[in-house]
Amino acid sequence: MSAIEIRDLGKSFGAVRAVDGVSFTVEPGTITGYLGPNGAGKTTTLRCLLGLVTADSGTALVNDRRYVELPHPLTEVGAVLEATNFHPGRTALNHLRVICAAAGLPPERAAEALEQVGLGEVAGKRVMTFSLGMRQRLALATALVGHPRVFILDEPANGLDPAGIQWLRGFLRHLAHERGAAVLVSSHVLAEVEQIVDNVVIIAKGRLVRQGSLAELVSNGDTAIRVRAADPGELVPALERAGATVVQSDGVLRVTGLDAERIGRIALDERVVLTEVSQERSDLQHVFLELTGEGETS
Amino acid sequence: MRLIRAELLKLTTTRLWWVMLAVTIAYALLQLGITIGFAGVTGGQPGAPAIPGRDTAPFQELMWGLGASGAVFPMILGVVMMTAEYRYQTITSTFLTTPRRERVVAGKLGAGVVVGLVFGLVVLALTAVAVVITVPLAGGELSFTGSTARIVVGTLAVLMLYTLFGIGIGALIRNQLGAIVAAVAWVFVIEAIVSAIPALRPVGRWTPGGAATALTNSGVDLGLGTDWLLPAWAGGVVLLGYALVFAAVASATTLRRDIT
Repeated sequence: MSAIEIRDLGKSFGAVRAVDGVSFTVEPGTITGYLGPNGAGKTTTLRCLLGLVTADSGTALVNDRRYVELPHPLTEVGAVLEATNFHPGRTALNHLRVICAAAGLPPERAAEALEQVGLGEVAGKRVMTFSLGMRQRLALATALVGHPRVFILDEPANGLDPAGIQWLRGFLRHLAHERGAAVLVSSHVLAEVEQIVDNVVIIAKGRLVRQGSLAELVSNGDTAIRVRAADPGELVPALERAGATVVQSDGVLRVTGLDAERIGRIALDERVVLTEVSQERSDLQHVFLELTGEGETS
Repeated sequence: MRLIRAELLKLTTTRLWWVMLAVTIAYALLQLGITIGFAGVTGGQPGAPAIPGRDTAPFQELMWGLGASGAVFPMILGVVMMTAEYRYQTITSTFLTTPRRERVVAGKLGAGVVVGLVFGLVVLALTAVAVVITVPLAGGELSFTGSTARIVVGTLAVLMLYTLFGIGIGALIRNQLGAIVAAVAWVFVIEAIVSAIPALRPVGRWTPGGAATALTNSGVDLGLGTDWLLPAWAGGVVLLGYALVFAAVASATTLRRDIT
């Protein structure tokens, strides 16, 4: 059983097709990055999944049920949504006490969840005094009160400082890889999540463009080797004869189709001095931008 | 039941509820004070005084009936119970916690009944103290008749139901300021006009204000007359009908809407 199963989901707002036939699943113990540029339909998908927005077509299930059919939703699903806010005059602890009361959870969970996200010391402070990062932590505490095994987070890194992002990554890893939770986390910045996700689902203009493991996505990008040589004019024809594709700019050769050892041997045969040979890291962000169609304009 | 408790917790963990309670108390004291002060005063005009003397039974009934006019304050609280959720986007976590939205609406309406009841009891307690002190001092005899009981129960009902109207208006309008302005304008402008202008009274007696007055009317004519009102029982039925309509409005506007 998948923790999250989305099948042929569709939703329009007026004439805008926000989500168009999206399908994917999230398994327990894994972190799935739901990626796409702003306005791609990520938030709408997640809100359909959580019963806040009614889908036009398709299904979105958590633990094999629609969210609205879950008898005790907070004990199964923890959600952090972008447009979730807090009453500014209510304290952090009281915010969680209200949630616990409505969910039928023991009231002590409120203080415990605040401790878990590092807000224990400001439990009695009104939310109006909180920074954006503290609000994100409070939102995460809200997701944690019911000890759920499925987490759905919409752009959780927004507003967090680098230390906060680091903390969040560690926390999500702990939830998924140590406690076996299923984590679905959306982002429009691949770099924010690429270190922690096991799988990626990429969406653009409401449609799914790619899904698979992170490793699969990386291997789909072409890997090139950067070469600098004392006399590139001699080397380029030799490399091309060996079957490489060479792009030359500013004295740097970007070679694809040959590995570093072959390039070295060809240089030796041609008696050309190499001043640099380096594996170009496959630029995942580049792949992401190409896939989502944003790279074309830049 | 736990949703009613959660809704009451939402109210008591923010400040507005006691501000509104303080305003309600101040308003009730003002009205009681004015009524006591002008009781039996004829202003040099011949004939009976506008407000009966402090030693009379009608004075006591009039006093008991004053509380219902403060219904606008719990009504505003009812409006805010709904609009604050949209204003601060807490509606998202409310619906994530309780995705069956009809339960959220029921919880709010239940909490609204409790709020109206508490406000009503506070106002009636103030009235009781004022009556018990004033009447014997003026040499009158305390009386609690069937019509006093009707006025007391009516006052509780009016405050309760107005709180529910507030919730309905809040669900319908959602913009906090707009909803409060609409509620206050309704009570102080529209209802005041249709009950003051004789030609409009056939309409006025069917409004919530007209029905509330019928339910808590002491028979003392304060210048607008009382003969145009519905009978007390019909006033109660009309008010209940409005409460049901507003509950239906609150449900219909809340249940299907996408929360984006």
